[in-house]
Order: sequence, then C-alpha cells, then structure tokens
Amino acid sequence: MSAGGAGGEATGGIPQNKLIAVGVLGGLIAAYAGHFLVQAAGPAFAFIGALGAICAIVWGCAAVRRVASYGLGTGVPSIGMMALGMGVVASLFGLAVGGIAGPIVAFITASIIGLVIGALANKVLGMGIPIMEQSMTEIAGAGALTIIGLSVAMTGTFMFDAVLETVVATGYIAVIFIAGGMAILHPFNANLGPDEQQDRTLTTGVEKAAIAMVVAGIVATVSEDASAIPTIMIGLALWYVAFRKYVELVNRDAYKVIGTGLLPTEEELE
Amino acid sequence: MEPLMGMGVLALMGAAATIAGTTEDLESDVGSQSNPNSQVQLAPQMMYPHRIYNKAISGEPPSNALICAIGGTVASVLMTAGLSVVFAIAVGALIATAVHGTYAITSYMGRTASQKRFKQPIYLDIIRSHTPVIMGYAFITTFCILVVSYIMVAVLGHPFPLALIAFIWGITVGAIGSSTGDVHYGAEREFQNVEFGSGLNAANSGNIVRKAESGLRNGIDNSWFCAKFGGPVTGLAFGMTVFLSGWVTAVFDPAISITWGWLSVVAGVVLVLLMIIWNRRIEVAAREAYGPYKEDEEVAA
Repeated sequence: MSAGGAGGEATGGIPQNKLIAVGVLGGLIAAYAGHFLVQAAGPAFAFIGALGAICAIVWGCAAVRRVASYGLGTGVPSIGMMALGMGVVASLFGLAVGGIAGPIVAFITASIIGLVIGALANKVLGMGIPIMEQSMTEIAGAGALTIIGLSVAMTGTFMFDAVLETVVATGYIAVIFIAGGMAILHPFNANLGPDEQQDRTLTTGVEKAAIAMVVAGIVATVSEDASAIPTIMIGLALWYVAFRKYVELVNRDAYKVIGTGLLPTEEELE
Repeated sequence: MEPLMGMGVLALMGAAATIAGTTEDLESDVGSQSNPNSQVQLAPQMMYPHRIYNKAISGEPPSNALICAIGGTVASVLMTAGLSVVFAIAVGALIATAVHGTYAITSYMGRTASQKRFKQPIYLDIIRSHTPVIMGYAFITTFCILVVSYIMVAVLGHPFPLALIAFIWGITVGAIGSSTGDVHYGAEREFQNVEFGSGLNAANSGNIVRKAESGLRNGIDNSWFCAKFGGPVTGLAFGMTVFLSGWVTAVFDPAISITWGWLSVVAGVVLVLLMIIWNRRIEVAAREAYGPYKEDEEVAA
C-alpha cells in the first residue's frame, strides 16, 4: 500500500551503523553513568539515565523506519508496541538476575528475543522482509535500553529491588511502556509518506523522547534517590529545541505552509 | 460495602465512562484518527487534496492509553505528595492533554509534509482551530477515565495501582471508540457522495467528501456530524461495558459467599447471551429493511 512507505529499503541520511552505535553505547553508558554518579555525587544526576533513553529511542525510531519502509503501513504502531513488550520482559529479567551487570544482561536478552521473533516473522510467517531479523533485534534492544534509562531517571539506580518498588509495584511501568513505545513508533508513523526524510523523523524521535524524560522527571519526585527538577528542566529544554527544529524541517519539506487558503487548483495539481 | 452504596458508585462510574466514550470518539473524529484516517491519508495521492486534519497517532487504543497513563501517573504522584484528589486528577489530565497536543501537531505536520509530491499544503489555521478542540476532548476523556480508575482503587479497593488501571481503561476506551465510533465517521461521513450502503468501490478510494454545506469541509464539521449519533453511541457502549461488568458483582457480591460468586458468573453469561440475541435481531431487522444491495440483485436476475 502506497500509504505505508515506498515499499523498498529506506534511504538517505545517517547510516544505520552509526545510529546503532549511538543507541547501544549511549544507552548503556548513560545507564551506568546515572547509577554511579547518583551514588557518588547525589540524586541530581539521575537525569543522565533519561539521556540514555533518548539515544535508545532515536535508534529505535531509525530501526522502525528501516523495517517499516517495506510497506508495513498499519503495522508501524504494532511494531513499536512489540519493541517495548520484548523490552519489558528482557529488562526485568536482566535486572533481576544481572545485579551490577543488569543493563548488559537485559540488552543481550532483548537482542536474543528480538532475533528469535524476527526469524519467526520471516521463516514461519513468511513475511520476506530482508532486514527483519536485524531490525527486530535492534528494536528489542532499543526497547530494553529505553526502559532501563527511564527507570534510572525515576529511581536513580537500575538495581532490581529499587526498580521493583518504585517503578513496577507503583504501576509507573505502564507509563514507561506506553511513553517509550509511542516515542519509538510515533516518529515514523507521524512522518509516513513518500517524501519522508530521515532527519525529520529522528528529530520527532528526540522530541517525543524528551516528553518521556519529563514524565520520568515527574515520577522522580516520589523517589528519594532521584531529583525531579534537573530531569524535568533538561527534558523541557530538549523538547523545545527539538520541536523548533522539527517545525523548521517541516517548513523545509512541505509543499507549502500557508496560513489559510483554498485547495490547490486543477492546473496546480497537474 | 452496602448494596445501595455499591450501586451508587457503579452509577457514577457508568456516567463518567459514558462521557469518556463520547468524547473519545469525537476527539478521534476531529483529527480523523484510526480507520477513517487511511482514506484521508490516501486522498491527496488520488488528486483530492483536502482541508481535513490528519491526526495519525497510531491507533486509538495506544494513543488513549498514553494520555490516560500519563494522567494517571501525574495524578498518582500528586496524590502521594498529599494534594487533593480532584486537583490531582485535573492536573494529571491537563499534562496528558498537553502531551496529546504535541502528538497531534507532529502527526498532522509530518504526514502532510511527507506528501509534498501530491501538492497537499499544510494549513496553519487548521492546526490552530483543530488542535485545541482535540485537546479539549482529550482532557474530558482523560479526566473521566481517571475518575473511573480512582473510584476503582479508592472505593472498590482494586489491587492494581492507579496508573496501571488508567492505562488499561485507556486501551479499552480507545478500542471501543475505534470499533463502535469509526463506522459512523468512515463509511457514512467520508463517502456521503455515494449511495447509502453501497460499500467502498475501489474506484472511489480517496474520493472523500471535501466540500461542506458552506465552504470546505474540515475535521470540526466531521465531529459535528458524529456528535449526533456516533459519539453518543460510543459513549453508551463504553458506559454499558463499565456498568454491566461491575453490576454483576455488585448485585451478586462474591464477598458474601462462594455461591454468590458463581451466581455473578451466571449473571454475566446471561447478559452476554442476551446481548448476542439482541444484536442478532437488530442485524436481521436491518437486513430486512435495507438490504441486500439492490443493484447486485438485478445483476443476479
């Protein structure tokens, strides 16, 4: 279906390998930096976890964009929800058994789950999308790192007991799930069309991830080991910058941006 | 709980759910979200540029789950800080609404900018006039869902936390809005220019009604149409879901004895059977009155 992208490989922009590096390294380094800086220098540094989540979300958006360009259409939202579904399972497992290695265990688990689901989609369901295995692995990994990053921003640590008490038992895991999942799926879904551009999609990703960061900051007010104000303020600033950039890119890409007016005439359409 | 008190609580939940269902459907209609969106998206490609809001925020269940989960989270945080319940729910709904506004704007601008080659312009007045309406409806939906969720936690003693219950009700109201409400916008409003009941011929794909009673049609005109029947019927569907699913255990309280618990299950099954029979009768009556499609009959003859 034409509404679901060009039906071929997405092209242009930053190469995917660079984005993978940003997502994986940014997500993991920020999770650890947030955890150790909170212990060493105080709860104000919990916001670093959310910065990692932003890296992971941007990477996730790019992966969704690549796989969804094969004409997934209405499957775009589903794939975003699936990313976080795999991510929740993997991150809770990883944090529960991994201890200090929790984020790494969670990331590897997510990648394995993603690979299996990608292989199932291609081999059993016969979807025949060439990059399915790689993309599902990437999406699951991005989902897991998003959840861990936002959990660090909410609690100041990724230790399982604290996450279980502050994030899971209180039900705030629901908002991580949906705000993270929407941040991964919405950018490509919102920019879907034949004239989609990678930089515009990824800018939307940063903007939506900043919203998830602000929400994580609001939750941090109930936690003793994470400060809310830095997370909220930095999140709002990032949101503002990204939104301005997005509007600028829309003005660059759109056929016309007009205050009001009639529909294009017949002659204009030809 | 006293049976009379239980009934009162249930009635309040049902009323809040009815309002939530109605506004949820109208909110999706203003922006052409969900199923009708595919034709709004397709129209410029078929040389039918339009002035209808293209709010492609995933399906209705995830987008409503997002606003309700954010509202529930903020409200729960504020209540933990000791603020009053009404204030907490209102502020929670307000923040969720602001987030929803950004999602709506990015999808309209993004989708339209990605249709450059079909020469679909971005109309800023559409954003300025429609986004506040979308946000207003989203506020009412979130507020009512949070009321239902709070009653479940605080009065009925549901074991789940507020944010999680709000998330689940968000998915539910979105699913019911999508299945019940979309029919009255998609087939009936977008294709008013073809004969009623004729289905969507492939040749008509994307040929949605773009001109209104006066001027060019927009999303607010569509919600005006849907507010007459589609929105309220969605509200009734969601209100009945909330009310009836609570009613069986309010009348046959499992806390009294295990027998009453089983009676509540039996009452639930009887209700479902009644609904199935009632729906079947409506369908048969409608087919007798309007169908089958006459042109097909002539071809067959």
